[in-house]
Amino acid sequence: MKTLVIIPAYNEEEAIVHTVTTLTQTCPGIDYVVINDGSRDRTSRICREHGYPVIDLPVNLGLAGAFQTGVRYALEQDYDRVLQFDADGQHDPRYIPDMEAEMTRTGCDIVIGSRFCDQKKPVTARMLGSRMLTVAIRITAGKRIADPTSGMRMYNRDMIRLFARNINFGPEPDTVSFLVSRGASVREVQVQMHQRFAGTSYLNAGRSARYMLHMFVSIFLIQFFRKRQLN
Amino acid sequence: MSALLRILLIAASIFYCGWTLYRIYRAQVKIEDAIFWICLSGVLLIMSLFPELVILGTELTGVQSPVNFVFLCMIFILMVKLFHLSMKVSALENKLHELAQRYGIDAFEKEQTRLPRETGKSSEDEEK
Repeated sequence: MKTLVIIPAYNEEEAIVHTVTTLTQTCPGIDYVVINDGSRDRTSRICREHGYPVIDLPVNLGLAGAFQTGVRYALEQDYDRVLQFDADGQHDPRYIPDMEAEMTRTGCDIVIGSRFCDQKKPVTARMLGSRMLTVAIRITAGKRIADPTSGMRMYNRDMIRLFARNINFGPEPDTVSFLVSRGASVREVQVQMHQRFAGTSYLNAGRSARYMLHMFVSIFLIQFFRKRQLN
Repeated sequence: MSALLRILLIAASIFYCGWTLYRIYRAQVKIEDAIFWICLSGVLLIMSLFPELVILGTELTGVQSPVNFVFLCMIFILMVKLFHLSMKVSALENKLHELAQRYGIDAFEKEQTRLPRETGKSSEDEEK
C-alpha cells in the first residue's frame, strides 16, 4: 500500500522547508509531492534547491485545482492512498501512520485527521462554523463528523478516481458530506494541529461568510440533486 | 402585485432553481458558481411570496408600480453579476495568456538546449 502525501503550496516560501523537513524526518521514506500553485514568491525555487519533488502549476488554480493535480498524479503513478497535507505547518506528520493504520484496519474510504475525536471542541467563533457543519452533515448524511473542516484527510483509491476525474469534488466538507450520503465510509483519527508556521490565513470575515454559505447551500440543497451513484 | 405576476414569479423561480440543479446533476457547472443563481431564485421566490416587501420598497423609492421595483432589483443584481463575470473573464484570459506564454517559452528553451548536441539520438519530450 503506497501513500502519496500531497502538499498544495501557494506563496509558502517561509513555511515549506519547515513542513517538508518535519514530514521527511517523522516519516522517512514516505512519498510526497509539493504542488506549487502558481506562487508569486520563491516557493518553487526553494523546493528545487532542496531537491523536493515539486509540480509547478504555471497559473494559480486554487486549493481544489492544486489538490486535484496531486490526485491525478497519484492515479497515474498507481498510488493506493493520498493524504491532503497543508504546506503551512499546521498538520503534524506524527499522525500519518495512525491514519494509514486506520484505513488499512477498517477498509474505509476516507480518514479524517480530527482535532475533536476524543477532545471537546472549544467555543470560539471559528469553531461555531465547524459545529454548524457537523450538525448539517449529521442531518443530511446521517453521520457525525466531529471535525469536518480539518484539511488533513486521507483518501483511498476509489476516492482518488472520483477526485481526479470530476468537477465539484473540491477537498471540502460539502464533498465529504456528499460522499458519505452516497455510501462512502469515513473514519476519524485523533490528531493535534499546530499554529501555522508562517504566513497569514486565507480566511477573512468576508471569505468565511462566503465559505459557509457555499457549504450550507451545498450540503442542505445541492447534495440531494447530484448523481445517485458513485462511479 | 397582481396574483398572476406572483404566480409567474413563483413558477419562474422554481423552474430556474430546478434548471440550475439539473446542470449540477449533469456536472456542467461548478457548485461555487451555481450558488449565486440558486440564491437569486430564492430572492425571486421571497418577492413573490411576500409582496409586502416589494410594496414597501416601491413606496420607499417612489417607483411607479411594484412590478417596476422587481425589475429594478433584478437589473441591479444582474448588473453587478455581469460585471463580476467580466472580471472573471479578464482573469481567465490573463491566465490563458500566461499559460500559452509559459508553454511557448518552455518549448523554445527545450529546443535551444537540444540544438547544440543534435547528434543522432533525440531525447523525447518528457512532458505530462
